[in-house]
Amino acid sequence: MMLASKEITKMFGRKTAVDHVTLEMEPGHIYAMLGPNGSGKTTWMKMAAGLIKPTSGEMTFEGRPVDIESRKQIAYMSTEPYFYTWMTARDVGKYYGDFFADYSADRYRALLERMELNETLKTRELSSGMMAKLKIAVTLARDARVYMLDEPFNGIDLLARDVIRACILESAAENKLLLLSSHLVEEMEAIADRAAYLKNGVLVECTDLEEMREQRGLSMADRYREIYSHSEGANA
Amino acid sequence: MKNLMKYEWRKTMALKLILLGITAAAEIAYLIGVFRHDENWAAISAGILTLLAFGGVMVIGLNSVVTLHRDMNTRQGYMLFMTPNSCYKILGAKVIENGLSMLATGAFFFGLGALDIMLLFAKFSTVGELWRFLEDFIHSINNEIQINAFGMACFFLNLLTGWFSVVIMAYLADVISAALLNGKKYNGLLSFVLFLALTIGLRVLENLAVSALVPQGTGINTVYLVRSAVTLVFSAGMYVCTAQIMERKLSV
Repeated sequence: MMLASKEITKMFGRKTAVDHVTLEMEPGHIYAMLGPNGSGKTTWMKMAAGLIKPTSGEMTFEGRPVDIESRKQIAYMSTEPYFYTWMTARDVGKYYGDFFADYSADRYRALLERMELNETLKTRELSSGMMAKLKIAVTLARDARVYMLDEPFNGIDLLARDVIRACILESAAENKLLLLSSHLVEEMEAIADRAAYLKNGVLVECTDLEEMREQRGLSMADRYREIYSHSEGANA
Repeated sequence: MKNLMKYEWRKTMALKLILLGITAAAEIAYLIGVFRHDENWAAISAGILTLLAFGGVMVIGLNSVVTLHRDMNTRQGYMLFMTPNSCYKILGAKVIENGLSMLATGAFFFGLGALDIMLLFAKFSTVGELWRFLEDFIHSINNEIQINAFGMACFFLNLLTGWFSVVIMAYLADVISAALLNGKKYNGLLSFVLFLALTIGLRVLENLAVSALVPQGTGINTVYLVRSAVTLVFSAGMYVCTAQIMERKLSV
């Protein structure tokens, strides 16, 4: 297994964000992490990135607990803007170059060009869509083993989405793992080949999408509706 | 470490530039006063420079605490904590950058002050009276301080290391607040009480250590040097403790 969590739990005060999730992810696949707001997707990803310490359980990368070494191999993109406000797009690239050995300045410049962004842009002046594109460009400019993109399509228009989808697919390889979370299930269906469904911090299912289509006749979106529309109806 | 320090410097640069700008303006005012033989003008700007010297070092330390707080409590912290660096390195870069900044600021103002006083001697005939006033002022702080370059350097080193240790304790209190008390009721108040308790406790321990290390009747400069060394040793202990809590418990 490349990335795995074993009985991992994270509590914020009395609230359980992730509840005993055991999940294994293999290289050579693109995983979609699905679930409504508050289902635990972001918390799980942040634990995998080493930004959040679990309350119990363990997160491992290639069999070892996530640590400084795993951060060299895992490229994480948070859904929230996180660049220092004094930075330009060029500064962001330099920062990644200073800290990540797998970062390519040439690839970053090429990605910026494809995203129609200029290196002189100041991060504090970017619209949410431009910020999202900048985050994706700098994250994919790393030649990481694992890419974790939290809500990569948030705030991005249709045409830019096509570019981003192409860039994400180009980053996929046999020895790499891609994990994306999104509310846009149809968008994810065109990219991912596996899906993990989280509900109230609990893993409902992690499934191969092709198998699910063949054996159960369900698409990613069908299964999403099955899992979440029931609870939404109950809540209503 | 070098890169971490570079970005720590960059994060705190704005305040340092502002401080430098105000100092330059006060120094120009002082020089104008001296060269025009305008004693009031020179005295007021010298007073501002003195305030800047003490306040500047304090503000640089405080700014470093605010920067750590921001790194632990805002999304910008991802930039720091997703890099492949241990919390020992991350905190170490902050400690070293801040220590060097305070030392450089202290040395800068010490040098500037020495130059300004020499200029004063050269320009004003009534400077002897002013010097006696300065001696009285310094002796009102501590009667044993020797008014010479080495004595003043020891005195300021003691002040600087003392303030440095206060900053490290503020780091510790802030890290405990973010890592252990996060989400708990009265978090801010508890952290502040903890900071006060740490500060007082450390001073008591320092006094005990200095009393044990320095025999009665030792010169004040030696006492200052030993106290500075003891303070730095205690600060190193606080740093290890703080980094350990960050490494094990901090979520950003």
